Amino acid sequence: MSVVEDVLPSRFSISGMDARRKITLLVTILFFAILIFATVTTTGFYSVQNFKAIITAAAIVGIIAVGMTYIVISGNLFSLSVGITAAVSASTFIWALRFGLVGAIIIAVVFGAVVIGLQGLLIGFTGANPIIVTIAAGALQEAVAIWITGGVSVYPPENSPSFAFLVSPLFGIPFPVYVFVVAVVLGEVFIKRSRFGRGIYLMGESPRAGRTAGLPITRLTTGAFVVAGVCAAVAGILIGAFNQSGTMTASRTLTIDAISAVLVGGTAVIGGRGSVVRTAIGAIVIATISDLLLLRGYSTPVQLLVLGVIVTVVVILSYLNSERAGRS
Amino acid sequence: MSETLRLETQGITKTYGHLHALNDTSFDLRVGEVHALLGHNGAGKSTLVKILSGVVHPDSGTVRIDGEEVYPRNPRHAQDLGVALVDQELSLVSVLTVEENLRLGSRRVVSSEELRTLLDTLGLEHVKLTTLTGSLPIGEQQLVEIARALSRDAKILILDEPTATLSEPEIERVFAAVRRLAAQGKSVIYVSHRLGEVLTLCQRATVFRDGKVVGTKDVADLDRAGIVEMMLGHLPDFRTGSEKRTPENPQRISIQGLSIPPRVPAFDLEVQGGVIVALAGQVGCGASEVLRALAGLVPNARGTVNLNETKLPLGSAVKALAAGVFFAPSDRKEEGLFLSHSIVNNLVATRLPRVSRGGFIQKSRQNAVVMKLLGLTGIAPERRDLDVGVLSGGNQQKVLVARGINQPRSKMLLFDEPARGVDVGGRADIHDLIRGAAEQGNVVIFHSTDLDEVFDLADVIVTMFGGRVVSVRSRAEATPAAVLTDMTHGAEGISA
Amino acid sequence: MSAQARMKPRFSFAEPKWPVFLLLALVILTFAIPPIFNQASSAFTIYNVLQNTAVLGMVALGLGLTMIVGEFDLSVAGTYALGGMVAVKLGTGNPFVGLLAGLAVCVTFGLIQGLIIAKLKINSMALTLGGYLVALGLTGTIGNNKSQSFSNYDIGIQLNQPIGTVFSIRIFIGIAVFLAVFLLMNLTNLGRGMRATGGGRRASRTAGVRVDAVVILTFGASAGLAALGGILQAYCTATATSNPGLFPLIFAVTACLLGGLGLAGGRGGAFGIACGALTIAMLSELFSTVAAPQYVTGLFTGLLLIVVTTAASPYVVRKWRERRIDRSLKIESKALATSDSSSQS
Repeated sequence: MSVVEDVLPSRFSISGMDARRKITLLVTILFFAILIFATVTTTGFYSVQNFKAIITAAAIVGIIAVGMTYIVISGNLFSLSVGITAAVSASTFIWALRFGLVGAIIIAVVFGAVVIGLQGLLIGFTGANPIIVTIAAGALQEAVAIWITGGVSVYPPENSPSFAFLVSPLFGIPFPVYVFVVAVVLGEVFIKRSRFGRGIYLMGESPRAGRTAGLPITRLTTGAFVVAGVCAAVAGILIGAFNQSGTMTASRTLTIDAISAVLVGGTAVIGGRGSVVRTAIGAIVIATISDLLLLRGYSTPVQLLVLGVIVTVVVILSYLNSERAGRS
Repeated sequence: MSETLRLETQGITKTYGHLHALNDTSFDLRVGEVHALLGHNGAGKSTLVKILSGVVHPDSGTVRIDGEEVYPRNPRHAQDLGVALVDQELSLVSVLTVEENLRLGSRRVVSSEELRTLLDTLGLEHVKLTTLTGSLPIGEQQLVEIARALSRDAKILILDEPTATLSEPEIERVFAAVRRLAAQGKSVIYVSHRLGEVLTLCQRATVFRDGKVVGTKDVADLDRAGIVEMMLGHLPDFRTGSEKRTPENPQRISIQGLSIPPRVPAFDLEVQGGVIVALAGQVGCGASEVLRALAGLVPNARGTVNLNETKLPLGSAVKALAAGVFFAPSDRKEEGLFLSHSIVNNLVATRLPRVSRGGFIQKSRQNAVVMKLLGLTGIAPERRDLDVGVLSGGNQQKVLVARGINQPRSKMLLFDEPARGVDVGGRADIHDLIRGAAEQGNVVIFHSTDLDEVFDLADVIVTMFGGRVVSVRSRAEATPAAVLTDMTHGAEGISA
Repeated sequence: MSAQARMKPRFSFAEPKWPVFLLLALVILTFAIPPIFNQASSAFTIYNVLQNTAVLGMVALGLGLTMIVGEFDLSVAGTYALGGMVAVKLGTGNPFVGLLAGLAVCVTFGLIQGLIIAKLKINSMALTLGGYLVALGLTGTIGNNKSQSFSNYDIGIQLNQPIGTVFSIRIFIGIAVFLAVFLLMNLTNLGRGMRATGGGRRASRTAGVRVDAVVILTFGASAGLAALGGILQAYCTATATSNPGLFPLIFAVTACLLGGLGLAGGRGGAFGIACGALTIAMLSELFSTVAAPQYVTGLFTGLLLIVVTTAASPYVVRKWRERRIDRSLKIESKALATSDSSSQS
């Protein structure tokens, strides 16, 4: 590691680049080979019932992950508290049923949009570190939630409208799956075709170039977080409907699952690239992995461990594959 | 200064592809001498400095220090050979104390008393070893950097544009320190654009031009005009008499009292559309800051700027763009282009509202704009989906420039080094694009450190030095010698 | 470090001073506020504060070292848990064996993270997020997803035994570690190299600092310190939890930011981190004394962290700097004006 290397501008050689791409390809193939092998050797995997379970789990995580995709592409790393917001949105939805079903949905969605959107506003305007801000916001939300609810679950008020359809099967497929598909379609079209979406991609690629080009950085960042907030709230509504109550424990691994879904799907941590459709695939892969582990009798920590390893490997690969990565 | 040679280089050649950065050059340095290296950007002096300090290896030629042939392999090795470089970019760590910075990475054991003596020699008696380096004024940090170079037992000190960002008293201190060093027998290579300083401080001067040494003269035998003549050489074939442009509805801009702390105290200018204005000056003259301030990228800029009688808000790039101001920065890779995005995306990045309807981008409108611009720049349409990052430097710059032109709502176009890193052919194309924009009535202001470019493109030449305007001339009445003189105005300063 | 001759050590204290004032303010509050609620702080309060700081402050110290180097170790909350769990599992026979095992596992973990970050030039926040998950997963797997109790109660009692009313062995360990790191940062080349790396990576490299080695060692240290905190906690409570949540991380980040560290690196040191950690420990002890519900601590720490992160953000920092430039320019122009007027008279 001579000093000359450090002083002269470094360029990855063409052969070096190919090597990195080759490694990525190899790892991806290996990963899917292991995955398929695991599915074949796990009893009970190939059944309609199991597939339904996977797709339902994927749906909830996937909806949150759609929103998280906007944050990642915008170059703001991740939000570490979308899961908590989803759980609190669930409680909000349940509580707000006194205003009717539609009213409850609107209130919950607005709640999620505002709570996460405000974080985005702070991050976009001041440039504060997104991970720390979202961690702090998560702690705040938890504390406030416990304060208001006294730590007990929130139950639907008397004479609430029926919301069971939100989680019941429709033509044999659970309703959340339809919501997921709609979210993916809307999310993808919006980020790929809209002016706002284009701005998110450009800003994620290079905030400095974005500023010079006159992109409204603060507005774009806030917008990305608002989308994430809406998605978290929608997922929360479905969770609340499923549990018929609102609690904090529902959020345990949601955030991590959502982040993993985005990364595994191939959206890079550095931002500026990726898509919602990729995240959807990632969500299904993550749900499959969790399902496999569950079927084989492994507990949550093992899931965490496996996800952690996957996330680490994906992060490493995405940095290796980027010319932009690295500092002097 | 004795006649003994401390350093001798002969036949140094360095080429980058087709470009001869240095072509069979020779240069010598005496013991105890302060020797200036002069020459325009790209003339070769910085390449020689890089070779001497071990950053770059020459293709051929020899370097002798105190009679011995040496090959500086890397900066560390060059240091061991006694060559120390104090670069424009300070390499001090601002969060460390002065003493820690002086010791940083040093192989020698140096006592604190030695360091103290060193600082005193450089006029830093009042600076304590325990002071945080970042809290010192830039001028004193510069001297600390020099002290660090000296603490490594440097026999040859290379100062690269040491005074570009210094105030008058700080410059005096640096001069005093350099004189003291020369008296002690150290040799100093002084690279600078500031001719006044060179005439005051140095004993001899070597002028570079187009990779060759034009000559080495005793400063006593030179004056400013003489140096300028050596730097310019033959006058290139400039377009004589720019065809007067008469656009139909020219924009107008009036800048009064634009101040950008701390470098630019007050800048005034009035420009009419159709007239291309050059802000000519060297590094640190303040022209870049002015352009950036107009583009809304400097939050604490103050002053009054009126674009067609409407106030132009400063401090917000978004508002500037909305007001019809477009800016192309000098660093296209870091600040200008989105390298992983396609040519299409880059071209429309500044006009997203125009190619969208109802918040969604209309492919047809986008295509129309892109095809038009591609036609103007001469980039093949089939390549439009390529990542900008894989294009050549010249094409990248064309994309950057093109993304600002041909916008119906544009009023002012600002370019910082519009043809940086572009070959002659590409530069001609880019200049044509800019002229086209002026035709349409836009106010066009650009900054360049390259005289050729200034004379090729500008109708009005504003020279800047030290954050102030030195002179304003029309192209017709300006001569390269006069402009270069103003760009390199000496330490005498102008009456404020 | 490169083969540098031993230089006469020169002591340099280059940390911001204001965290001390913040701490003093909080000390005053700790004694002034409880009486309003008909409670009172006592020597026991101090003891509690010091006890908590000894454990969580260690995590803050670990995180702080990575911040000083210009990086960020999100996994400290994970190595905190992992260290405790390994120590409890392997220390039933001899607590020292458990201690060494816990440290060994976590330090190795940290060194591997550091290696990946240094050599592959990866954003440390992104990588250590994965590291956090791995550490947490390992902890839970070893612990079978529930808390593991430690059969050796004695060690906990010994560690917690009050000495001189407000101290204990646990607290002394904490003080010793802080002191050791403080001396390391200010007296040794490694410490200087760490601050240099954080303050200017490129300049440090050209000046000859072994930046990669510094980064790798720092991440090993952060994991080790967090593990030490977790081991102390596990021994003292005779329990190792599978998932302590994010509070240790929140405590650590807030303590570091309050202690004068910046996210960009280079600034601050062990003294500031100690001040910041004590400040937060005091704050939560204050809530405890006035018998505030548990969520109040969470509320305040969350708010505090947001405020402090905003204060450390590029926008705020820039505004500060601009105000300083404006002020110094005004002073300059005033000085010129008065000298002009005096020379004219």
